[in-house]
Amino acid sequence: MFVELGRWLALFVKELRQIGRNRRLIVMLIIPPTVNLVLFGFALNPTVTNLRLGVVDNSSSAESRELVTAFTESLAFKVTGYYLSESEMSEDLSEGKLNAGIVIPSDYADKRTRGESANIQLLVDAVDSNTATIAAGYAGRIVASLNQTIVASTPRKSPQAAPGGSAQTPSVPPRASRASITPRVALLYNPALLNSWFIVTGLIGALLVLQGSIVAAASMVREKEVGTIEQLLMTPAEAGAIITAKIAPIFLLLTADIGLSLTVARIVFGVPVRGSLLLFVVSGSLCVLSGIGIGTMIATFVNSQQQAQLMSFFVNPPLILLSGAMTPIEAMPQWIQPLTLLNPVRHFGVISRGILLKGTGMDVLYPNFLALLGFCILLVSISAWRFRRQLR
Amino acid sequence: MRRVVAQARKELTQVMRDRLTLALALVLPLALLALNGTAISLSVTDLPIVVQDLDATASSRSLVEAFRGSLTFRIVELKPDEQPEEALLENRARAAIVIPRGFERDLLRRESTETQVLIDASDANTANVMRGAATAVIQKFSASVSGVAASGLPINLETRLWFNPGRQSDKYIAPSMLAVGLALFPPLLAALAMSREGEQKTIMQVYVSSITAGEYLLGKVAAYFLIALAEWFLSLLLSFAMFGLSVRGDPSALFVCTVAYLFTNVCFGAMVGVRIPNQAAAIQAVQIVGFLLSYLLSGAIFPLSNIPVQIRWISNLIPARYYIDVVRDTLVRGSGWEGLWLTPFILSGIGLFFFLMAWMRIRRMQIEA
Amino acid sequence: MNPTEPNGRSKESAIRVRGLVKHYGKTQAVRGIDLDIGVGEIYGLIGPDGAGKTSVFQILGGVMPETSSVETAMLGKPPREARNYTGYLTQTFSLYQDLTVRENLRYMGDLRLLSKHDIEERGMHYLRLFDMDRFTERLAGRLSGGMKQKLALACALIAEPRILLLDEPTTGVDPVSRREFWDTLASLSSEGMTIVVATPYLDEAERCTHLSLMFNGTIIRTGTPKELKSSLGLKRLEVRASDLGRAESVLQDEPAIEDVQRFGDRLDVMVRDSENGTVAARNALGKQNIAIGQIRTGDPTLENTFVSLLRDLEGDHHSPPFPRSREFQERSADAVAIGAEGVSKYFGDFAAVKGIDLTIRYGEIYGLLGANGAGKTTTIKMLCGLLEPTDGLIELAGERGRARSQFVRQRLGYMSQKFSLYDDLTIEENLDFFAGVYGVPRTEREKKKKWVMEFSGLQGQEKMLTGELPGGWKQRVAFGSAILHEPSVLFLDEPTSGVDPLARRAFWRMINELADRGVAVLVTTHYLEEAEQCNRLGFMVAGEVVAEGTPTSVKAAQSGHLISIVTDRPQAASNFLKSVMDPWRVSIFGDRLHVVIEEDGVRGVDGLKKLLADNGIEVYGASEETRSLEDVFIAVVEQRRGPGDRLEE
Repeated sequence: MFVELGRWLALFVKELRQIGRNRRLIVMLIIPPTVNLVLFGFALNPTVTNLRLGVVDNSSSAESRELVTAFTESLAFKVTGYYLSESEMSEDLSEGKLNAGIVIPSDYADKRTRGESANIQLLVDAVDSNTATIAAGYAGRIVASLNQTIVASTPRKSPQAAPGGSAQTPSVPPRASRASITPRVALLYNPALLNSWFIVTGLIGALLVLQGSIVAAASMVREKEVGTIEQLLMTPAEAGAIITAKIAPIFLLLTADIGLSLTVARIVFGVPVRGSLLLFVVSGSLCVLSGIGIGTMIATFVNSQQQAQLMSFFVNPPLILLSGAMTPIEAMPQWIQPLTLLNPVRHFGVISRGILLKGTGMDVLYPNFLALLGFCILLVSISAWRFRRQLR
Repeated sequence: MRRVVAQARKELTQVMRDRLTLALALVLPLALLALNGTAISLSVTDLPIVVQDLDATASSRSLVEAFRGSLTFRIVELKPDEQPEEALLENRARAAIVIPRGFERDLLRRESTETQVLIDASDANTANVMRGAATAVIQKFSASVSGVAASGLPINLETRLWFNPGRQSDKYIAPSMLAVGLALFPPLLAALAMSREGEQKTIMQVYVSSITAGEYLLGKVAAYFLIALAEWFLSLLLSFAMFGLSVRGDPSALFVCTVAYLFTNVCFGAMVGVRIPNQAAAIQAVQIVGFLLSYLLSGAIFPLSNIPVQIRWISNLIPARYYIDVVRDTLVRGSGWEGLWLTPFILSGIGLFFFLMAWMRIRRMQIEA
Repeated sequence: MNPTEPNGRSKESAIRVRGLVKHYGKTQAVRGIDLDIGVGEIYGLIGPDGAGKTSVFQILGGVMPETSSVETAMLGKPPREARNYTGYLTQTFSLYQDLTVRENLRYMGDLRLLSKHDIEERGMHYLRLFDMDRFTERLAGRLSGGMKQKLALACALIAEPRILLLDEPTTGVDPVSRREFWDTLASLSSEGMTIVVATPYLDEAERCTHLSLMFNGTIIRTGTPKELKSSLGLKRLEVRASDLGRAESVLQDEPAIEDVQRFGDRLDVMVRDSENGTVAARNALGKQNIAIGQIRTGDPTLENTFVSLLRDLEGDHHSPPFPRSREFQERSADAVAIGAEGVSKYFGDFAAVKGIDLTIRYGEIYGLLGANGAGKTTTIKMLCGLLEPTDGLIELAGERGRARSQFVRQRLGYMSQKFSLYDDLTIEENLDFFAGVYGVPRTEREKKKKWVMEFSGLQGQEKMLTGELPGGWKQRVAFGSAILHEPSVLFLDEPTSGVDPLARRAFWRMINELADRGVAVLVTTHYLEEAEQCNRLGFMVAGEVVAEGTPTSVKAAQSGHLISIVTDRPQAASNFLKSVMDPWRVSIFGDRLHVVIEEDGVRGVDGLKKLLADNGIEVYGASEETRSLEDVFIAVVEQRRGPGDRLEE
């Protein structure tokens, strides 16, 4: 027993020394996670401001200018050009110079003064459908609030010949003040709508799995590539000892990445930590272990570093894309959504957002935690089994 | 020139022989395009919400019905003694609508009333969409109860969505993923081929022969350019078949810009490969520098204007940023040369810069080795 | 420059170097050397590892600038400009493994702007010359080591360079292929090509026209092989005695004897005067009751010279006694240490090993010999359990079957062909690791580590990264760490390849010592004179053991007689004889020719002399000799493979 422990320690110390001497590995543990978090956090930002708006004002009246001002008052739009005709504007729209354009008809002012309903057109470049949706939403809100102002300030001449007698709406007697429902929206957990909070909290898991798999694969394959693995196999050390001694230092190092990424999230993006830090670290470690399992598995299929890296191209993109780290799972095609349940990164994403943003604990997160634990055990044992089988 | 051809032919022979590389070259770009095009989408529908109807009257129920009718939301049940926030915490709902007591009474009295909308904003973009949708539902409902038909409003907004009326987000994502895929694989192959010669020391043989650095580089670039062209063609076919794209604009603009773009990317890979004579490290460099930047800072997923100004300038150095415009213009919008005439020049400029960097390095090594 | 130098070199200068210096940072690799190489010479650079040979080649090849030099001219031009007529074969295989033979040639030809016709014609010419013309469509990566080297040479030759630079082209190549390679060089040189070559095999170096011995960045001797050998001023006695190990130590203490070198089945004893020396040797051995077989006198070989010079320069490796911690347990000499019954290995359709039977007992040194790709390494891997045999049964240290228990592994030592040390650990850390993983008790670790450092001649370098060690030294440390835990069964796969002659001798002293203590040793090597020290040998050809026995019995089993011929033109004589008899009967050994003939003694010698004289080749001397293992090896391998049936991997 004592001899076995001594053997294991010898293996462990050897790994530790090799890692310590591997500058590139150390750099790899620090730079990519940091760069990834920062870049993703900053660059993936769907907040729409300063949309380029083109205006065709055929009315050129006080009323039409009031309308344009209403658009530019919100920071969502800025007018970048006035056009004489719709066709002229649509050319710029098609070249991507404009995001949207409004066409105000020549009878706009007349209709407004007569109290009739005036039609204006909004043309949106919907190539980017998300931006288009949000732009259309903004425009709708702008016009709606303008309508409210107009209606409120215009004394009614006659009571409505109400179509309001429909079954749904109770018919109500006309009154001087109109009934209105104000939506009071409360944005919970992320009141400033910082998308970086979403991205960063989701990405941490992806990075831990990714780092784990790359570092583990590299370290496993190296012995194979150089040929020292044969020497190792000839020693009396058991396969189990060889594997655990290889995994242990990598695992220890990578758990440091949990702290690193959390620090980046906290300092650079101000992500809060509202729940249990311990639970976060424990789930993060499970993520790392899953990654190590994946990496070890990759290593059993390949013979060189290069092949290992290429192989990871087959594994990692789906893992990240189908995790809900960058885009909401609800936005994925129906048939893909259940598949994401098989992705450890997805479960860690839920846990990480739960702990960091919502402050929830084990009582709520246990299904995801158990799933993560399950994947971790499954991956590590499959890979250890495959590795052992290769050894003997 | 003969040496260039010889070099290119050798490279092509090697690629054809190596199954793994060949798979990487032809299958992976397609797989990634399919995956990216399908999985990346921001158009959320059917978001689960809970409704707490404290009023429980005909009016409040009709508001609930209005939410039920919206495509954006799907109402899930709230347990009788549960607070709406709990549903949000437990991820069972993404938003909660709370209709206050006295809702109908206030409406009947023609007084103003409120409806509370609680949104899980941890996903900011989805939260924004939910806010817009919820507001629209409530406003519409509000207008209808106050007896104003939509057509009777002072201003009636007719929104027309151009180019992509169905707002399919894959029409936006697929073209940019086409560009991103081409920013990853061609340089990867080129970098591998370059660093392999350094790693296996076969490059010594090249230094010893009298082939010039330019000829050597040009041969390599030409070979991987051809492969890149094949990748482009296959990816294009896939995006036609899978995402219903088609060449709507000027094909010549598409082709010329593509040539410049592929050249630039291959040159980038060659430069990385020359500078890093270790295949594993070269792969990582291409992945991080080439791919990540093209993915994030080129406007592939969100518009460029959303990137913070401090780092937005970087995007001007990224070839994919220009090519994404090209693909969107010619495949989705259907415009021609007007907006694009400068693009081939910018792209080839960046490409030549990479070429030059690689060339100088080889020349220096040829002497120092 | 100087058309007639004193030593009779009258040819125009091909390479002229004055005061060449190369620094890498602080390390001085080359410290001011001069070279004069005439057109058509085969110029050898010899010297221990790290002497600076490769740096010289890189500078001459035009791929690395010198730090400074007074003059460096290749046919009157700086090396970079001379690249068009220089061919350079680097130490590593510079072929594209994933291209076929033909494609490799074509690529190289195209780079040199040869016409398609020329590429095809010259390519086939050289392939035919190297007997490889049937493999044009084979991937270079699937050729055996010797064939790869010949293809690399063909690639370098296709542009018909006027100067050929070869940096250790035959390291790790088997003796048969090495001879073929040198035959090719000789014929190229006779066509006027200038060849500069580095080699660790000193028997090869005898075939050079001129030699320089490099040591520590300087040239310490230059001249023809003959001049170098006579520069020692010593005579050589070939002593055959009953107990060579004891005889060696006895003779070393004798004042009249300058140096004793064990060489195969004999001792080479260096003396000032052959007669006095013989007497002294006889007396000394007689006092110790060591039976003397035979003492012959002759001139020292290049290897004698090299070893003597190196002993003077760096001192001999007096490896200290190995610190033993336990007595050997396997006392019974009958117990089988390594056994194999009908073991075969197939890789797909290809049979790498075909039904091998082996029995190796404790205390025995068994040498497994064979050409590149004969299946030696595969056999070793199966024997020690790294590979599963397709068929057959294996016994190892008392266990049968493939599963290797921890207990058995504790008793095995294994040194693989590839380096078995971790390059990114220091020497000491490597030793710590192996000591730890084998559970060497802490109390003994320091002693053993110290012993390895002394054995490798690396005292004080404990903190050096193993990856920075030159190959030869790495082998020494690897050998040391393989026996750290005092195994009872030792597998050594080419332990001495790339190790200089002095260190090789230290290796074998250690191997003998271990065997004396009862360790079973299985060893492979391409140095056949080393193999003479094995108790038993097995010759492998194409996956089969074709001959087995003690070195003596293996040699005795060969039919025919060996005639050694000394002539002025060994190469021409060889070419001629090969054209009139079976080519395997003729081979060049150093400066002489070995010919196997069927008729015996005097008649045969006279017949040969006459045959050569009739064809204008003067014979200085010819005599029947006992065969060396290398003669036997060549004969066995060449006969087995028959015409046109090549050794392949």
